[in-house]
Amino acid sequence: MPTITIDGKSIEVEKGTTLLAAAQKLGIYIPRYCYHPKLSISGNCRMCLVEVEKAPKLLTACSTEAAEGMVVRTTSDKVKAARRDVLEYLLINHPLDCPICDQAGECGLQDYYMDYSLARSRFSMADKVRREKRRPIGPNLVLDNERCILCTRCVRFCSEVTKTSELEVMNRGDHSYIDLKEGKALDNGYSLNIADICPVGAFTSRDFRFKQRVWFLKRTKTVCLGCATGCLVEAHHNENVIYRLVPDPNPETNTWLCDHGRLTYKALQAGDRLKKGVIKNGLIELEPALREAATRIDEARGAVAVMGSPWLSIEDNAALARLARDSVKTGDYCFDFNFEQGIKDGILINKDQAPNTAGVRPVKAAYGGISMGELAGRIASGKIKLLLTEARAAALLKDALKDSGTRVVVFAANRGEIPAGAYATLPYAAYFETPGTFINYQGLRRRTTPPVAAPEGVKPLWDVVNKLASYSGASLGLDSGDDALKGISF
Amino acid sequence: MAFKLSEEFKAKADKICARYPRRDAALIPLLLELQKETGYVAEEGMDALAAFLGLPYSRVKAVVTFYTMFNREPSGKYHLQVCRNISCHMAGAEGLLARLSSKLGIAEGETTKDGLFTLSAVECLGACGSAPVMQVNEKYFENLTGEKLDALLDDLRHNRVMPR
Repeated sequence: MPTITIDGKSIEVEKGTTLLAAAQKLGIYIPRYCYHPKLSISGNCRMCLVEVEKAPKLLTACSTEAAEGMVVRTTSDKVKAARRDVLEYLLINHPLDCPICDQAGECGLQDYYMDYSLARSRFSMADKVRREKRRPIGPNLVLDNERCILCTRCVRFCSEVTKTSELEVMNRGDHSYIDLKEGKALDNGYSLNIADICPVGAFTSRDFRFKQRVWFLKRTKTVCLGCATGCLVEAHHNENVIYRLVPDPNPETNTWLCDHGRLTYKALQAGDRLKKGVIKNGLIELEPALREAATRIDEARGAVAVMGSPWLSIEDNAALARLARDSVKTGDYCFDFNFEQGIKDGILINKDQAPNTAGVRPVKAAYGGISMGELAGRIASGKIKLLLTEARAAALLKDALKDSGTRVVVFAANRGEIPAGAYATLPYAAYFETPGTFINYQGLRRRTTPPVAAPEGVKPLWDVVNKLASYSGASLGLDSGDDALKGISF
Repeated sequence: MAFKLSEEFKAKADKICARYPRRDAALIPLLLELQKETGYVAEEGMDALAAFLGLPYSRVKAVVTFYTMFNREPSGKYHLQVCRNISCHMAGAEGLLARLSSKLGIAEGETTKDGLFTLSAVECLGACGSAPVMQVNEKYFENLTGEKLDALLDDLRHNRVMPR
């Protein structure tokens, strides 16, 4: 294991460790554009040049392996001059359109220019190479080749992570530019990661572009609930509106984030977001909707079934179990979901589209209940007059519910989720609006932190359940999500 | 129209691939072979070759656009390729290009209406010692001057020199 010295500090590193990684361990930051910890090393941007004693020239820290006794300097005059020159070089053809560039505020060129250059350009604006600007290159991305510094992170991402190899550097030298096959779209299910890893404003997200300047955004670490993978994410939001989701890289689950997961937040802002109850097809205020649902439940007493949902948090499932056992007082409740789990594309997307299949299991362990097959059988045979469940879970019983005459009362966050023929729908606070506990396919506990608040009057599902019970004259005593978790071990 | 590599080409290509430790290393020799057949490398040819070598299309396109010796559209009978790199530039390549352009009435990258000449400026032809240099199809013409160039055009027009 070689021991090297960087800026006077000694460190012993594993064989094969690069100077950049060794410096990082010492807390010394070396600027970089083309280097990305999860992509192959390219060494083309030259931003990470450092001085190594006895080496005749500066070396790229990203691609030079530490060798015994190396003495490295990252702040010498030679290194500083090199960084300044590299930046001047990278900026020769840069259009400097920061005021209208969506990357401004999180741009590698802006940041490093302020940190390492602050020099005037010796090249005139008139001589800059002009290229195609703002070209939609797929459903999720816009490409501006003028801003590109040809670091090839996007090229390597497509060839190494998605293995779709759409992008390449075309032509040569001054004429080089990033392109893909004529007439093709860059749409590989993970394309928005390219907007993240692009260190400049060449690739920007079509969804996020011009919605919000990045310096206004607040960041909340939470969980993506687009499937059972349960990727850790950071939600970027301002004034109670989420503007984008980006991955929060972690060794357990994810470095990247899929395009589907990234756009899950859109449901909150969709036109069909439910802020009121629905009876049959008409919107109705929350209170009367609750009262109506409670009345129907009371009416059908003795023939009411309750089903949990793998799309709901453990808290919400547990509240439903409490409702069934202590208020409706039925044995016909079901918390039995056995979806096949596992990564289906070798990257992140799970075979199980529900985020909490594993999290419903401890609720079943604590409360028991009947199996999905038994419930379907009882519904089909007409024994169940009313089914209370979450909208997407109700769809699982579509076949049994058909022609059964069972009244369906569902919880839904968006109108589009409501199954056809549902009698009543009660809204609840969605994923990004209330805290909840989930268990991903790896068995890891995922606690969400809400970046935004629910629409006025819309409460978390456990709270709605608590109210439903009180309208029926029972008290579940649920004052918080944690109250619902009592008695459940996971 | 679906483009297909001929069986003849595939047989030849397999032999060329066998020379290299990895099949995809034969990309450039095979592109040259492909160009020999039709005088240029068509989009469909790149697609077919990518599939044949197990390479992504983008890789093939990147290589084809990198090198000036690959034509992406049919060229005239004589492809005039004037080197514009430093030695030739200092020895007057710029003037040669301008002279050709005005004599033939075409700009860089264009072909004369009679289909006889295509004019290109290319990167270093590796003959700096005898700059300025122009390659016509696969033959080099070195130490060029304006007069030599005029004579050469005349010869080419009357089939008196026939580069391969």
